[in-house]
Amino acid sequence: MSDKNNKIPFNENNYTHNINRNNERKLDRRGFMKTLVGAAGVFAVSSLPWGAIAAKELSGLSDKKYPKKKIADLKSVAVGDAVDFHFPGEHDSAILIRLSEKKFVAYQNACTHLRCPVFWEKDKGEMICPCHHGKFDVETGAPTAGPPRRPLPEIHVKVENGAVYAVGVKRYEA
Amino acid sequence: MKRSYVPVALLLAVLMLNIIFTQYMVHQYFYQNYMNTIIAAVLNVILFPIAFLIYKKGVNVND
Repeated sequence: MSDKNNKIPFNENNYTHNINRNNERKLDRRGFMKTLVGAAGVFAVSSLPWGAIAAKELSGLSDKKYPKKKIADLKSVAVGDAVDFHFPGEHDSAILIRLSEKKFVAYQNACTHLRCPVFWEKDKGEMICPCHHGKFDVETGAPTAGPPRRPLPEIHVKVENGAVYAVGVKRYEA
Repeated sequence: MKRSYVPVALLLAVLMLNIIFTQYMVHQYFYQNYMNTIIAAVLNVILFPIAFLIYKKGVNVND
């Protein structure tokens, strides 16, 4: 530590320059460790809201309810085919895919990258966004290739009386 | 009085882990993998008592 700031600039009676500033701002080993522990505490506290919001999302408290809506008749959708529809609003385009005799999946088909429509490629068995070649797993809606990193919002479907109904959205962001 | 800088190094490692977990947590939240978000948040919280213990030990033994 230099004495640069601790000099009396000129001769006088030294009533005003008598404060000893030596080592005033020295950060020793103990002080440094205290700072690090404090930083760890700040990190810990600041990660609490993230955990809380994630837990809220997992618990499904923010799921919304929508009236159920008929998508198509069972007979009109062959196995491996897809039907476009709109759910929950009339401007929220979605796609229904019949994977097997009994298994239907439906997703909001706006790509989670830049909201281009996502199409079902029957022969390749995957969902493709033509804008930037984003691909999605048809079973879960999870992104498998390309720019999108978030899954497509899944729509819950129910088969009743020979028709397929959309009953809810797993997660919907406007 | 011989000082040990092992606790200092350990605390720096803890800080590095804090940074890693925090970034992982934020990214996993954005990708909607909420279980991973919670795991990272819990790890971040656990690191604080660990850091505190390292500090206590380091101060008592060496100063």
